[in-house]
Amino acid sequence: MSQLGTYLLLFGLVVSGYGLLAAAVGAKTGRPALVESARRCAFGLFATVAAACATMLAALLSNDFAIRYVAENSARETPAFFKALSLWAADDGSLLLWNLILAGYIAAVALRFRRDRSPTFPYALSVLFGVQVFYLVLINGPARPFASLANPPADGRGPAPLLQNHPLMAVHPPFLYLGFIGFTVPFAFGMAALLAGQGSDQWVSVIRRWALVVWCFLTVGLLLGALWSYSVLGWGGYWAWDPVENVALLPWLVCTAFLHSVMLQERRGMARLWNIALVIGAFALTTFGTFLTRGNVLSSVHAFTQTSVGPAYLAFVALVLLAGFGLVAWRLPELRTPASLTSAISREGAFVANNVLLLAAAAIILLGTTFPLVVEAVSGQQVTIGGPYFRSSVTPVFLLILLLVGTAPLLPWRATNRSRALRRLRGPVTAAALVMIATAWAGVRQPAAVAGFGLATLVFVANGQELLSGLAIGRRALRGGAVRALARGRRRHAGLVVHLGLALVAAGIIASSSLGQQAQVTLKTGQSTVFAGQVLRYQGLHTDRQPQRIVLTATVSVTNPGGGTAGTLGPRMNLYPAATEPIGSPSIRRGIVWDLYASVISLQRGGGSATFRFYHNPGVNWLWVGGLVMALGGAAAAWPGRRRRDSGDDQGASAVRKRTTVEAGAR
Amino acid sequence: MRRWIPRRRAGLLAGVVAGVAVVVVLLMTALGRDPSVIASPLVGRAAPNFTLPQLDGPPVTLAKLRGQVVVVNFWASWCAECQTEQAALDQTWRQFQDSGVVVIGINFEDSTGAARGYVRADDVRYPVVEDADSRTALAYGLRGVPETFVVNQSGRIVNRVIGPVDAATLATEINSMLATSAQ
Amino acid sequence: MNAAGPLRRARAGLPGLIVLVALAAGLAALVIVAAGGHPPASQAQQVQQIAAGLHCPICKDLSVADSPAPLAQQMRQEIARKLRAGESADQIRARFVAAYGDSVLMSPPRQGVAGAVYYLPWLILAAGLITAFALLRRWLRAPPPGPLQTSPQQASPQTGPPQTGPPQAGPPRASPRTGPPQAGPPQAGPPRASPRTGPPQAGPPAGPPQADPPQLSAAQRRAVARALARLRAEEPG
Repeated sequence: MSQLGTYLLLFGLVVSGYGLLAAAVGAKTGRPALVESARRCAFGLFATVAAACATMLAALLSNDFAIRYVAENSARETPAFFKALSLWAADDGSLLLWNLILAGYIAAVALRFRRDRSPTFPYALSVLFGVQVFYLVLINGPARPFASLANPPADGRGPAPLLQNHPLMAVHPPFLYLGFIGFTVPFAFGMAALLAGQGSDQWVSVIRRWALVVWCFLTVGLLLGALWSYSVLGWGGYWAWDPVENVALLPWLVCTAFLHSVMLQERRGMARLWNIALVIGAFALTTFGTFLTRGNVLSSVHAFTQTSVGPAYLAFVALVLLAGFGLVAWRLPELRTPASLTSAISREGAFVANNVLLLAAAAIILLGTTFPLVVEAVSGQQVTIGGPYFRSSVTPVFLLILLLVGTAPLLPWRATNRSRALRRLRGPVTAAALVMIATAWAGVRQPAAVAGFGLATLVFVANGQELLSGLAIGRRALRGGAVRALARGRRRHAGLVVHLGLALVAAGIIASSSLGQQAQVTLKTGQSTVFAGQVLRYQGLHTDRQPQRIVLTATVSVTNPGGGTAGTLGPRMNLYPAATEPIGSPSIRRGIVWDLYASVISLQRGGGSATFRFYHNPGVNWLWVGGLVMALGGAAAAWPGRRRRDSGDDQGASAVRKRTTVEAGAR
Repeated sequence: MRRWIPRRRAGLLAGVVAGVAVVVVLLMTALGRDPSVIASPLVGRAAPNFTLPQLDGPPVTLAKLRGQVVVVNFWASWCAECQTEQAALDQTWRQFQDSGVVVIGINFEDSTGAARGYVRADDVRYPVVEDADSRTALAYGLRGVPETFVVNQSGRIVNRVIGPVDAATLATEINSMLATSAQ
Repeated sequence: MNAAGPLRRARAGLPGLIVLVALAAGLAALVIVAAGGHPPASQAQQVQQIAAGLHCPICKDLSVADSPAPLAQQMRQEIARKLRAGESADQIRARFVAAYGDSVLMSPPRQGVAGAVYYLPWLILAAGLITAFALLRRWLRAPPPGPLQTSPQQASPQTGPPQTGPPQAGPPRASPRTGPPQAGPPQAGPPRASPRTGPPQAGPPAGPPQADPPQLSAAQRRAVARALARLRAEEPG
């Protein structure tokens, strides 16, 4: 099976190499037959890489320990579910998943654009194949998953204990990768626009939808990562400002900025080159993130085992930056848009502010993540930049962003009528002020939290008000139902729904960061303590022997002060043979307003007494719900409209082209 | 308007190339080092004193060993790598015991029973002490086990090794210290 | 219209007043909270505060306060011991830095190269804001593109004269356009099935009132308002 996998990957490399050359030559010399053959290759490539993945899956499930990856990441006792998930548990396997998803995206592009005759498509195809070639070279060279062992062991080492502890392992990496790798598509089309020398209006409406879908995937991926950190790692929090977490957030911020500034281009023909620069930046950040994660540069919980691929990733990052921004610089004088604005207090102005704030947040996070490297390179000093720094430097920007999200949807295009704007503002601002007063009265002591709650309310009420008024106007004017009214202004309404989700997420973040409590207490069997207004009693230890681990559950009963039993908590310690220390699993009682969270730190006297950490975490569930609302809103915005047929975008593109030529002619 | 386009283009391109070059150089220096190795500020400074109880025997105080070379080794029974360096430490003890070199094993975050079991199983002859509340480990800036500190005759830390030590390195260092003190 | 003048003006000013009052109330609450200060921290809270500023040496990202590791627990006990002995927070931190180096602090020291990380975010934000202002100013000064920016189905404006925009100096807001103002989306998609009541040029523009608004009858105004509402509902955002 090792040989089969190796040959499949090698074949995939050959196919993608041909695709790259054929598309590039076809683009340059204008030969549609070559381009078409390259397009067809995309399907063959996907089939090949999928077959290689299937081979690895089969090897994992059949305990083929002759393959080194299987021997290092799977064991006989591992449950089948987690054996399958071991496919992406370590560096080489996850690279295989990466290649699969990339090949899938290329095949999707090939399918979607099968009737496209524009001059930019072949260039885009060649860029996509180019990126695929890089990752296939890696997987055929330094990071070979199908490398075989001379003396296969009788049993494998098993996956890292932390990675076989929770079913979230099944969804977090795939969604995250779908998000990261998806940025390749807008990047390819942006580069194509630059390479072909064409104005980028042709692709903007299409790429906007691709970017939106990718944004949804990345939102879900990040959310699942936070959920993992909260439900699996047992430290009571969901975001540790780990370097890898930070670099995963950066493309999300840049993509959000892009999704807003692309409307400037659609509506007003402005910011064309800026949008291309944004998609290039987003892709460059994902490659930089891959370098940071796999290149063993910074210490992180996510760092893969050491491999020698660091220099290769660095070279790729350099290539992407040079090619991308170099082309932007080259084309800058030609593709510059002469833009004009009627008033700064308008939606256009708001989008500019949006871009400034989101990119400033991204720049600050990037700065904090990479600064230890800079300091060490310059002065040899080793420093840590951790959570407190990020929290204090990102919070002001985050609050400004909330302020913008709460006021910008009320602004019309071009210029604002002041009285109308004030009328629309009075509800949200009043609600925000009431919440701030209530929060201050309730005893919250951090000004940032009070401001944050007020701003989250502002966002929620402002966007909700716009949504309802849009619904009402739609129903009155069109004499249709609410659903029809919703569907007509779908993009705008979906955007407002995303903002509503953001308000929930913001409220959740602020509540959990400023209002939480924690306590560490050692309890003997039968002993109880009072925490967060409830009585917690340690009832005893329960041992469960499973084939791959021993699970020790410390049962804690939760009673209300009035006397009624509220339930039980069962934080666990999992003892894996491969690990020197037990892996803790927390137990969470989730509630609408707050969670009661327990993890067991250590056991003494064989379970006679146990040290617990109890957490009172308010607002964490608002995070998950709000994040889900954001992702669903994004999906609703990306959903193809009923009236636009498949070629509708081409029609739109050609109409826009007419407009730009007319504009150009008039100047 | 036409003439400034090529110059402006070249200027912008040069800017991009310069920016990318800076980023690449920075990341290349980052690639060159191992992020898990953090330099210890204690090397070259006086070794923090400690008085710790032996597993079986009277307490050991570092200050009382002034004038002798001391090899302080932090270990634990649950640490697999500590097993691999045990032979080297035993050999060092046997080789330099008569020259007045002391090897001290400080048990880190372990139970007395497990520590005794390890000592008995590996037949450790040099003094082994327990650091129950990890105050000594904290004073020495311990980030994990095994870590070994070599202290010279004037009580100054001359080297710190992260991970298992090997007998040859230790021997070279101890010999050089013994030589300088003999002069 | 003139008979109800003052009352109308007062009612028109009401939203602004509400917003102002609400804003003031919210800010007042904020100021009170900010000035409120904290009660003196108990020793347990002090240990938490100091521990939150130290990086757990054997964990990857967690502070000593958050980390469940035994070494972190013992560090917290050490901090408590030193606090009871009368040492200050700075002295305790200095002890750990002496043993572990600067990297044991969760945030770098403010001196030296590393200290730059504290003021660089402000520089970044300032640079972003300055760039944005410069860009906005340039766009505000630029002449608006002529009446050619409408969607292709509106035939007449495309043959009109280009660039009858305002002179460069002064705010271009009151520019009398010769084409229809953009009351609707100029999206060049497939023509929408909903019938437009002709080019929506008679409606009040979204900007400040122009120099000579056309006089319309009440019925005309209602028809225009309906048409505008329909268009706004169609806005894809």
